[in-house]
Amino acid sequence: MSRYFRRKRYCKFTAEGVSEIDYKDLATLKAYVTESGKIVPSRISGTKAKYQRQLSTAIKRARYLALIPYCDSH
Amino acid sequence: MRHYEVVFLVHPDQSEQVPAMIERYRAVIEASEGKIHRLEDWGRRQLAYPINKLYKAHYVMMNIECGADELNELNSLFRFNDAVIRNLVIKRDAAVTDTSLLAKSEEEERGKRSSDSRDSDTSETAEDSSDKSAEDDADDSDETEAKAEEASA
Repeated sequence: MSRYFRRKRYCKFTAEGVSEIDYKDLATLKAYVTESGKIVPSRISGTKAKYQRQLSTAIKRARYLALIPYCDSH
Repeated sequence: MRHYEVVFLVHPDQSEQVPAMIERYRAVIEASEGKIHRLEDWGRRQLAYPINKLYKAHYVMMNIECGADELNELNSLFRFNDAVIRNLVIKRDAAVTDTSLLAKSEEEERGKRSSDSRDSDTSETAEDSSDKSAEDDADDSDETEAKAEEASA
């Protein structure tokens, strides 16, 4: 009974046919990290495995270059 | 010959040296028929977290085509240059020449800021040193335009 309505999740990258996720595209990357800076799991975001792999490398590159934070307690 | 994407962060106090550094790297790359396909200076950016107690750094990105020896040379230049606080080299499949999303979004922001609030903009120009004065001048002209628009409206 406690189940609430959840919109069907879908993979944005598959829908748009993205060829490669860019680590410089901060607006997109920020949509896939939590407030504390963690990468959102694909089971939550609905991202396909192929894109989740690209996403994680992109986020990690952006983190290394200090474009996005590793965590919220820096 | 392979394609690489190189990003390096320069100490903010050494920002003036950036053009000279780029020239040196260009010489290394082009000495053996390498090419620089794209060169972007993102300028001084706020870091998402402090690195070596620094809060800002000067970002430069270039897409290059060169051999392994040149890349090794470039890497050692990065390593032994104290002004370079961080660098990232990525292998690419092809030459990328269009403006990156980050540079684009920055331009948009700059346009927005110059029309929104003049105070924050002027404080920033004060912080930035003379090497960016040309860009700042461009910003000023934008501001004056915005002012003119407001006046007419």
